[in-house]
Amino acid sequence: MFFHNFKYSLKTLFRNKMLIFWTFAFPIILGTLFNMAFQDIEKNEKLDIIDIAIVDNDFFNSDSLFREIFEVLGEENEEQLFHIQYVKEEEAKELLSEKQIIGYLILEDSPRVVVNQNGISETVFQSAVEKITQTSEIFKNVSEKKINDFIEEAQGEEIGNYNSWYAEIYENLMESLEEESSQIRDTSSENLSYTMIEYYTLIAMTCLYGGILGMTGMNQCLANMSNNGKRVSVSPISKGNLIFSSACASYIAQLVGLLLLFLYTIFVIHVDYGSSFPLIVLLSLVGSFAGLSLGIFVASFFQSNENTKVGIMISFTMLGCVLSGMMGMTLKYVIDKNMPLVNRLNPVNMITDGFYALYYYDTLNRYYLNVVSLLLFSFLFIGISTFCLRRQRYDSI
Amino acid sequence: MKSIVQVKNLTKEYKQLRAIDDLSFEVQKGEILGLLGPNGSGKSTTINCILSLLNFSQGSIQIFGSEMGPNAYQLKEKIGVVFQDVAVFEELTVIENIDYFCGLYVRDKKLRKQYIEDALQLVGLEEFQSFYPKQLSGGLLRRLNIACGVAHKPQLIILDEPTVAVDPQSRNNILDGIKTLRNQGATIIYTTHYMEEVEILCNRVIILDKGKIIASGTTDELKALAKLEEKVTVEVSDLEEKYIEEISQFKNAQDVTYHEGILCISYKKGKNNLVELMDYLKKEKILYHKIFSERPTLNDVFLELTGKDLRD
Amino acid sequence: MTVFKTFLKVLRSCKGTVILYSVILILFAVLNMKSGDNSFNFIAEKPDIFIINHDQREGITENFIHYFEENANIVNLKNDESAIKDALFYRDVNYIITIPSNFREDFLKHKNPIIEVQSTGDYMASLSQMMLDRYLRFANVYNDTFSSEEEVIEHLTDTLMKTVDVQVASKLDTDHLTQVTNYYNFANYSILAGCVFVICMILFSFQREVIRKRTMISSMNYKKYNRKLLFSNGLFAIFLWAFYVLVSIVLFGTSIFTSHFIFYLLNSFLFTLCALSIAFLIGNLIHNREAMNGIVNVIALGSSFLCGAFVPVEYLPSFVLRIAHFLPSYWYINTNERLKTMESFQLETLKPILMNMVVLIFFILLFVIITNIISSKLRRKSA
Repeated sequence: MFFHNFKYSLKTLFRNKMLIFWTFAFPIILGTLFNMAFQDIEKNEKLDIIDIAIVDNDFFNSDSLFREIFEVLGEENEEQLFHIQYVKEEEAKELLSEKQIIGYLILEDSPRVVVNQNGISETVFQSAVEKITQTSEIFKNVSEKKINDFIEEAQGEEIGNYNSWYAEIYENLMESLEEESSQIRDTSSENLSYTMIEYYTLIAMTCLYGGILGMTGMNQCLANMSNNGKRVSVSPISKGNLIFSSACASYIAQLVGLLLLFLYTIFVIHVDYGSSFPLIVLLSLVGSFAGLSLGIFVASFFQSNENTKVGIMISFTMLGCVLSGMMGMTLKYVIDKNMPLVNRLNPVNMITDGFYALYYYDTLNRYYLNVVSLLLFSFLFIGISTFCLRRQRYDSI
Repeated sequence: MKSIVQVKNLTKEYKQLRAIDDLSFEVQKGEILGLLGPNGSGKSTTINCILSLLNFSQGSIQIFGSEMGPNAYQLKEKIGVVFQDVAVFEELTVIENIDYFCGLYVRDKKLRKQYIEDALQLVGLEEFQSFYPKQLSGGLLRRLNIACGVAHKPQLIILDEPTVAVDPQSRNNILDGIKTLRNQGATIIYTTHYMEEVEILCNRVIILDKGKIIASGTTDELKALAKLEEKVTVEVSDLEEKYIEEISQFKNAQDVTYHEGILCISYKKGKNNLVELMDYLKKEKILYHKIFSERPTLNDVFLELTGKDLRD
Repeated sequence: MTVFKTFLKVLRSCKGTVILYSVILILFAVLNMKSGDNSFNFIAEKPDIFIINHDQREGITENFIHYFEENANIVNLKNDESAIKDALFYRDVNYIITIPSNFREDFLKHKNPIIEVQSTGDYMASLSQMMLDRYLRFANVYNDTFSSEEEVIEHLTDTLMKTVDVQVASKLDTDHLTQVTNYYNFANYSILAGCVFVICMILFSFQREVIRKRTMISSMNYKKYNRKLLFSNGLFAIFLWAFYVLVSIVLFGTSIFTSHFIFYLLNSFLFTLCALSIAFLIGNLIHNREAMNGIVNVIALGSSFLCGAFVPVEYLPSFVLRIAHFLPSYWYINTNERLKTMESFQLETLKPILMNMVVLIFFILLFVIITNIISSKLRRKSA
């Protein structure tokens, strides 16, 4: 009997086109859109080569420090910072107004930078020029000190050629300013791609949308919810048996949808779920279970028609998605930071955060916290539902 | 005779309203009992109480001699129900729908296959086996609804207005099907507000109004309750007031109305009423188009008993 | 009049949707309103940095921290590991600098103490890296040259104070125009989702009404009826457009009234008409409430994602933008983007914008024609 109802529940769920669209196809469409829109966003946040111009005048040609350093910065290699055009001032102005360059440098009595607007590239440009003027300041200070020291040491003896000293100090200085720095050690994680959060919310959304399947399945078993429910209620099958097999069928259908989404996101979109496969599976199973329990809860707790119930499910899920960062991960962070309780109680976030923890964290505490929260959430909702479902006869139908 | 269903002192109250008021009746084996009443008279509520879908305030319900309850699975196995609203799965074909509902009762696959074929034949849906409900017309859908309810060959069948909004062809098919079921030995409870169906089908009728039985018996017994014997209708234009006066003075005439060219005369018992009227019309040289006489219907009975029309 | 009454009835049942999309739009606009500095002076971008200091805040360590306080935004975080990790992941900080416990001592002893950093790898992090690198190099040079800590700090501070004069050539208030452009770009979603959904729902209810009426009275004046329907829906679309324009005026204040504004208005108006024509197309094509809902969602989200309503256009991959050319939203958003940096309004500079509008009009005509072909086919079929 379990199998008979199970088989037909699966059939009805899989043949319900609208259900399939919202639970299976919609997340995949959304994932495709995310992928198209976001695939370059992080790449764009890396510093690009910046187009600038330098006014080729006498001041510039006579200033070896500026000339040399910009030569280095403009060299075509992996660390190239600028793409430099050496032009006359008029040309530079024109290039700027045509937005072919973000700014130009003009050396007169003091260096001057001209840009169109505030911005990151402009700041980098400014910072580079600043560094050169500061370097010449250092050169001035250092050579002054060194030459004073020499003179002191020499104590009035013949000193020789200043120029060769300068040259030596200059060489040393440039060397120490350009050698590989060994003093900074970067320990940041490689898994820093925050767009992953989008895909995690997508998985979470699918898990909870899956609850709509459970809800539909449940409605077909309840005499006060549907005509079919009345019919099965007068059959010689116990309510528990019917509900259990329908719930199992819904759960299986949910997992099929989720599996499709996983395959799609892993093989087509290349989403990184971290390295622990069994833990990903565990989280998905638990997440879908939470969706199922939500569906059963909505089906049994609310005494309204099916459209309203679908509305409740969708609004609840979407709200949860927004709070857990689907429409911009900043919101998840802001809420995690300032109102942690909200997201601790938000099942969408439990799933999203679980994947996030797997992907980004080295320890599993946070992951397990989320898994346990999901289980608690599910059992709480199933508990309430069981209480509501124990009724066999209704006051009105 | 053995009573299959025994309802005793059933009372069901919604917040303010008393939907069923101390209702008692029995259904005998092999009979078709008609539950007749206007919308809101408590027919469906009674059915739902019998099926243990609804709580009720007082009373007891016994089916096949045992107490009925939500967990009385041995009883439920022998009952087939066709509800007022179509209850089938949109996503399943005709044959799958029947198989699903039948499968809840009959586990043996071979037997079930035979039962499904019988059910399809009963309602005449053999050609539509692999259609989806959406592709069926209203009447065919109703037939499917019935097939789903009775495919497991139950001993007690409860039909709750199975013919609402159905085309005549499907209605005849459905009524034939019900007769077939009765002939196969099933006991049937049939609710409707169509008197014609009751007159054709039912051995015994219970008329409900406001949750109370206001009359019960065979159709003839009930008709006897109507105080009128005959109803004559004449199509006649521009009838003067004085003729109407005179007609109402006839020996057996009980009530005379004239409205928009239709003259209606109700008679108490008595003979030759029609002849008398025709003679009179001839004598007064009144031109008439059609004239016909009817025996009273259950509608008239109902009208007589409650003062309102059944089809309201 | 009955047409209009029914129209209002359906509209009332859809009010939740309209409010939802409007609230999302306003929320987005408000979140985007940074305190824009309207002066035309150059302001350097400051990366967000968090410093974990294990040393005493004295001497060179104090100077080091002070340097970042001057040149970066120091973010306040709880000093617990997961708070810091999260902050980095969600780009609350771009760069985390850990100062080791004996930094000052080791530095003065020329031991080159190691600074641990964590970076988001984006351009702000690169900028932070440049700042840190420069500080350490300069500090080392002075440390090698001068013997006392005071001298090192004094020279270092002096040197790092040397700045460069930066001129801003453009006289355009780009911050302000960026906000307005972002608002109107996002309105792409609200107009598509809200307007199209509501109009589809209205058409859907009316079609059922028409079928009902056809069985009741066969002598209904179709043309008049359709004209009324078009008028009502057009009125609704224009009302919604006017509302969104009003919201933009309320949000951005009277400073919005520049010559740019006229073009923002014209552009969004054309796009609203385009949305109207899309709605009529969908309404005529699909006769299932749920399917309609799904398609409207996919169209609104799809156009918005692919054409740059959510993600700035410059971040979209080029193949996506090529696909986007087939969608009206692309042309609408392209005009907004051009307006953002438009300095003078001459025929020459306006040409691309006018072209975009022509393309939008072309889309409207296309949708209208397809709708007519489809609906006349459907009518013939049902006749």
